Amino acid sequence: MTDPNPARTDANLRRTLADFSVPSEPGKERLAMETVAEAVKVLDISGENLERLKTAVAEATMNAMEHGNKYEAELPVEIQVLVMDRDLIVRITDRGSGPPPPEEGDTPDLAAKLEGMQTPRGWGLFLIKSMVDEMNVTGDEGHHTVELVVHLGSEGGK
Amino acid sequence: MAVRHLNVEVRREPDIAVLDLVGEINGFAEEALNAAYAEAEAEDPKTILLNFEDVDYINSTGIALIVGLLARARATHRRLLACNLSEHYVEIFNITRLSDFMSVFPDEESAVAEASVS
Repeated sequence: MTDPNPARTDANLRRTLADFSVPSEPGKERLAMETVAEAVKVLDISGENLERLKTAVAEATMNAMEHGNKYEAELPVEIQVLVMDRDLIVRITDRGSGPPPPEEGDTPDLAAKLEGMQTPRGWGLFLIKSMVDEMNVTGDEGHHTVELVVHLGSEGGK
Repeated sequence: MAVRHLNVEVRREPDIAVLDLVGEINGFAEEALNAAYAEAEAEDPKTILLNFEDVDYINSTGIALIVGLLARARATHRRLLACNLSEHYVEIFNITRLSDFMSVFPDEESAVAEASVS
């Protein structure tokens, strides 16, 4: 069968910038985002695009710790930082196996929240999607991975 | 990297109560933020200003806490303003539409000036 995206599987085009894990403890998302920021220093990412990436990494790591690993500290959130072709890819994997998050209709309604008709929470997924060029979700019975993609180049990042 | 827990100092100016926020606005900040807001509104100011000058991290839980403060302010017909947000967090206030409901100022002086004329 023909690979629909051969660039993503060509080892010659793939470079790993970081591969690490953080425990599922509140606050550890900052360690994740700062480690990713350090790893991507070798790339030409502008200050504002770097801030967007950091926010996306922090929010995806928080989701992994909370929803995937239920804040069980001994369960790691595994993070890979890769460059493939012209994309920066950050893969954040937890030990959950739940369904992927909803793809549509997930823009929070601030007016409804202010009127008390919705919980004030529920911003994480919206922030992730707003901060990077693509967000992909994959998983199997024991793992759940969120892949953040930033297209590199002068216009890379949203 | 250690979490920088939020500390809040409340200052009372003639037309406005100012909350000087220092640290991170995340899930750990709820108690400090709500207590400072309660202290600020005790003297019934028309306007409360959140000063983000020494805040370097706000996550989605922190956004939810700010939404909660904004809901409290609106319920009591009080204005809630923000100042000294970094460029990145101004963007986040824009995309979340927080800036549609609370005016965002580049510095404290401009926020206080606005509060004093309205």
